[in-house]
Amino acid sequence: MGARKKWVQMTIFAIVLVIGVFTIMTNLSASDSKKYPQVGDKAPDFSLVGLDGKTHKLSDYKGKPVLVNFWGTFCPPCKEEMPDLQKQYDKWGKDIVFLEVNVDKNKVTVQGFMDQYSLNLPVLLDAKEEVRKMYGVMDYPTTFFINPDGKVEVKKIGQMTESFIDQTISQMAALKKS
Amino acid sequence: MFHNTKCDCGHQNPTGTTLCESCGKPLIDDDGSDLLEMRYDGMARRSQKSNPSILDKVWNFFSSVKIAVYIILVTLVASAVGTIYPQENTFLDMDPAQYYEQNYGTLGTIYYKLGFSHTFNSWWFITLLFMIGTSLVICSLDRVLPLYKALSKQQIRKHENFLTRQKVTYTGPLPEQAEAEAWTSLMASLLRKKHYRVHTDGTALLAEKYRFSRWGPYINHIGLIIFLLGVLMRSIPGWHMDQYMGLLEGETKQIPHTSYYIKNEKFNLELYEDKDLPESIKEKGQIVPKTYETQAVLYHCTANCDDNAAEPVLEEVHRADILVNHPLDYKGLQAYQFDYKSSPMLISVKPTLSNPRTGESFGSFDLPMNNPKDEYVVGPYKLKLKGYFPDFGLDDKGQPISKSNEPKAPAFIFNITGPNLAASGEPYMYFPRQIDKEAYSQDQINGAIAQKLNIAVGSMEGVQFAQYTTYLNIRVDKAMPYIWVGAAIFMIGVIMGFYWQHRRIWLRIDDNKLTLGAHTNKNWFGLRNEVAAAMAKNAIDISPKLLDKGGKQE
Repeated sequence: MGARKKWVQMTIFAIVLVIGVFTIMTNLSASDSKKYPQVGDKAPDFSLVGLDGKTHKLSDYKGKPVLVNFWGTFCPPCKEEMPDLQKQYDKWGKDIVFLEVNVDKNKVTVQGFMDQYSLNLPVLLDAKEEVRKMYGVMDYPTTFFINPDGKVEVKKIGQMTESFIDQTISQMAALKKS
Repeated sequence: MFHNTKCDCGHQNPTGTTLCESCGKPLIDDDGSDLLEMRYDGMARRSQKSNPSILDKVWNFFSSVKIAVYIILVTLVASAVGTIYPQENTFLDMDPAQYYEQNYGTLGTIYYKLGFSHTFNSWWFITLLFMIGTSLVICSLDRVLPLYKALSKQQIRKHENFLTRQKVTYTGPLPEQAEAEAWTSLMASLLRKKHYRVHTDGTALLAEKYRFSRWGPYINHIGLIIFLLGVLMRSIPGWHMDQYMGLLEGETKQIPHTSYYIKNEKFNLELYEDKDLPESIKEKGQIVPKTYETQAVLYHCTANCDDNAAEPVLEEVHRADILVNHPLDYKGLQAYQFDYKSSPMLISVKPTLSNPRTGESFGSFDLPMNNPKDEYVVGPYKLKLKGYFPDFGLDDKGQPISKSNEPKAPAFIFNITGPNLAASGEPYMYFPRQIDKEAYSQDQINGAIAQKLNIAVGSMEGVQFAQYTTYLNIRVDKAMPYIWVGAAIFMIGVIMGFYWQHRRIWLRIDDNKLTLGAHTNKNWFGLRNEVAAAMAKNAIDISPKLLDKGGKQE
């Protein structure tokens, strides 16, 4: 009689434990997905079509530092920092990957902008704003400096000066070598 | 060393029993005259074993009502804290890391770092709920099993000490000329008339009624457990969704995290007329909506659903008019009318290409403000789209820019090739809105080509216009039926325990001495009245008050 009772006790505890672990696990994973990447977090992978017509994934560039800049043609500070970004791209383009994630609704607007200001930075089109939402970008421009391991090294909200871009990239490049 | 648990009556009781299972004699404090502790009829409970193992210790922890109350209190306090600042899951599009610090300063940062910004989804809150659930299960099991055992095998003849130490008791001689067995059977029939189930054993009697009411609390606990399980089931992927979407008239958007797309085909708004409004509102010039609805279409994506490069292929699956409190409902996916706003926006135009001097028309083409085509062929002319500014303006250097991402003042730049034009094509700037055309002097900008060609919208025909943006609340809640069932079972348990009381009356006659004891779980007043009334009909006249805690004869 006592043995049977013990068996019942253990079964009840086992069921309770299983449900407990399940609920806690699902909650841990659910809350993770809501978190936007901050400095030190892994940069979420994404896949977008570029102005060049090809599909680009963030994971394509693993092993290299990546600069992800969220912008729009309608954003004056973005326009201001574009020439600086272009100069930095000319300087560092071989070592660092530049990804300009654009949120304009129309491709022709972006192409026109790039032609108007003689820019040739790589542009990725996020017209549906899926990647913007994934990264929790609220203001433009917002820039993520991602190190070769895929983690966010620096997150800068707002317009950057050329020296800021240069310094941050230099620091990241130094890291890569070490 | 063995503790003797064998009762005088000969029955062997399990360790921890306080009243003999068979005759009811108190096993502990058997010389005293205090009221007996009648909980679970004195049965041994699992949690009172001696030498508890680890398993027993865990069981004892969860079967304690005191611990359960503490857990509930902690959950209560935590829930209260979770309502101080808006929770993360109410944000449409804000970064929590910045929001709390920006709006609530240091307190806000502490709140966020401690995890209170998502209190109700945090692992520790769910653990608390889970502990309440476990406690419900274990508390109930610990008590209901012994109780069931006790109540299903009851002895009719109880020990005198058991009867005299009840809260309702009477000891006294039988009335004159009364014969013991006859008196008992008369008592039995009197009690049966009062809906008691009576069992007799010679001159001893047990009358019991409404035993089912004792199961009430356990039924309502089962209901609560189902309710909690229903709440926890919402964590199953696909079982719960509560999000908001804004759709401009004519716009189709994907419902995030699903393969469904929803379209706002038309938004209808009806306002109260002036004659129906009270003076106070008319004076303020307020508009009061009478009804508003969204004519919505639901699509399912059949191909190219996750492909960024290609357009998804959609198949219409449902259509409905969404009014407030009358959602669109398709296989559990619901869209409620939440809000709307006036947002006039040009959607598309159908301009005609013509020769301004001769008036000759070459044809017309559909030009949408969102995703215009790269090239249009109109008659002998080819219009290649080179530039597009949804919200045209000039910056401080006089350069053309777009002020926003919405087509509020669209401007198209075409490169036109065809008869009478340069081989490499000539640029033409087109403003669909007359107001922009004049403001920016379209004809002047275009110069010579304006003499040869004109792109203009002839009439309002072909002009598609959106007036409103509708806001819908998209919801999925597959756990609701289970929660309702849990709540219903809970109510049934409450009613069972509330409106009936479990009453038992025992009596025995020894040498013309009547000993009576009675017990109930609530409403002692009613029990005493009932016992006194039955006794009165059986020739023993006593007031109900006398039965209370002792039946000493006056």
